[in-house]
Amino acid sequence: MKNKRYAIVLDTHRCLDCKACTVACKAENDVPLGTQNYRNWVGPEPLRGSYPNLGQSFHPSQCNQCANPPCNEVCPTSATGINADGIVTINHDRCIGCKYCMLACPYDARYYNAEEGVLDKCTFCIQRIAVGRIPACVETCPTKVRAFGDLNDPNSEVSILLSENDHRVLKPELGTKPFLFYLN
Amino acid sequence: MSILFEKYGNKVWFVLLGACIIAAAVASANVFLVGHEQTFNTSRGVPWGILISTYVFLAISCSGLCMISSLGHVFGFHEFDMISRRAILLAILCLFGAFASIGMELEHPFKMFYTVLSPNLQSAIWWMGTIYGIYLCVLIVEFYALMTNNHKISNITGVVGLLFAIAAPSMLGAVFGLVLARPFWHGSFLPVYTIITAVVSGTALIILVMYFQHYVRGLEMDDTDRRVIRLLGRILRMVLFLLIFSVFWNVVMGLYGKQPGSYEPVMAMISGSLSVNFWLGEIIIGLVVPMGLLIRKDRTPFTTMLASLLAIVGMFFMRYDMTISGQLYPMRQRTDLVGGLFSYTPSVTEILIVLGCMAFSAMVYTLVERYMSLDLKSEDHS
Repeated sequence: MKNKRYAIVLDTHRCLDCKACTVACKAENDVPLGTQNYRNWVGPEPLRGSYPNLGQSFHPSQCNQCANPPCNEVCPTSATGINADGIVTINHDRCIGCKYCMLACPYDARYYNAEEGVLDKCTFCIQRIAVGRIPACVETCPTKVRAFGDLNDPNSEVSILLSENDHRVLKPELGTKPFLFYLN
Repeated sequence: MSILFEKYGNKVWFVLLGACIIAAAVASANVFLVGHEQTFNTSRGVPWGILISTYVFLAISCSGLCMISSLGHVFGFHEFDMISRRAILLAILCLFGAFASIGMELEHPFKMFYTVLSPNLQSAIWWMGTIYGIYLCVLIVEFYALMTNNHKISNITGVVGLLFAIAAPSMLGAVFGLVLARPFWHGSFLPVYTIITAVVSGTALIILVMYFQHYVRGLEMDDTDRRVIRLLGRILRMVLFLLIFSVFWNVVMGLYGKQPGSYEPVMAMISGSLSVNFWLGEIIIGLVVPMGLLIRKDRTPFTTMLASLLAIVGMFFMRYDMTISGQLYPMRQRTDLVGGLFSYTPSVTEILIVLGCMAFSAMVYTLVERYMSLDLKSEDHS
């Protein structure tokens, strides 16, 4: 059977900054309390215009599940890896907590889980995918900012969204080949 | 003054080092009881703090000592044979101090065996750790050979040690230089710059040791000692000159074109949160004053020692600034950061551990100097 290539497509125009995705992710993945501990986030864009004509957009993000991830190259113990479906994983048993991957990641996707003494990040909720469910952040979003699916399947929602819409990835110049796509 | 130092200096020195080691032990216990997150000021934005920069400082000093030591027993400049034992001993102890510093940074240092069980040969840290690990073994064999006057082995370990002494700091520079996401670090500059700075640290340290081992024991320097210190001063002057160029171009490259990720860290050093470190620590204490002392024709062993002491202090600031400034620029747009950059100030716990690592190296060195003869027979002063 052909492997899957999972991706998330985001339509940031729909984001309300409610942060339900961050809360759902923390609950699903036992992310420790603390302002620096999160697997996904919503970043506010700068204000547009001037008073009283103001506007603001928000930029939700998470691990880009790069096909060429810098975090994988730098890990001295091969704790970081890429599974058959393209998800970048961390083997917590092997992680020595050197934090080199945190510095190497151009997307600030990783945080240090002090409770376990290891690095952690988004895995598209790999434990949910294994039982046929979609990531918690995708499921919980009230405005459906995120769509999740298999890019190897031309009929999946993500494949159709990308074929029908102009889109971009973050920092393409770095050659990381991200699988987190943003609709323009 | 020298008699006074002989009477009280030793006690003061040991009390000072002992206090630092005890304080560091208490701080370390606190780290393991309370947790790294609560005791260190590192963060998601600045995950590498002063313990990493101290590791860099000590590990590169180790390599520099080995390079200087090789002048005698590898390149055949026999005036320098007299510094070999001390340089290699100090190199070993610097490396132990460096390992202690990085070991305290890791929450699970004992998981390091995974570097052997599941190595990643693409990782610069893997290569750095492996090279420094083997290098430590080579240095220990070399020290044993030097102490037992086994020239056959010391010649072999001298050459092998020199190769490692060049490869190790270069690989350490590559740990930073290979981080594509951090423009301030990324590139071929750091792997070369670290070799230059290794010679600065190594030369300065061995000058300090030569000066103080005479001073503390109340010995007069003979003509050979004075000539060697003068030659070492010249070497230090030359590498400081190269370092001034390196620092100058590093700053200009960062400022030119205001490239995001390069410009902001340089500005943090020039006029931001690291400006005192940069101007006072790196430039004035580390470069200008030592250079001023070393270009004097009438320089004495004392002024050469003073220049070395200041250069060493400057190197410490240089390591710190290089490590921290590269992390200050956020990887994504942030509206919650003052001035758009992360900030970092080491915690008291981190500072105490740093002092402890250095005090440990200095304490063991002083004890070995006191109870073992590190002089060659030809220069035995006893």
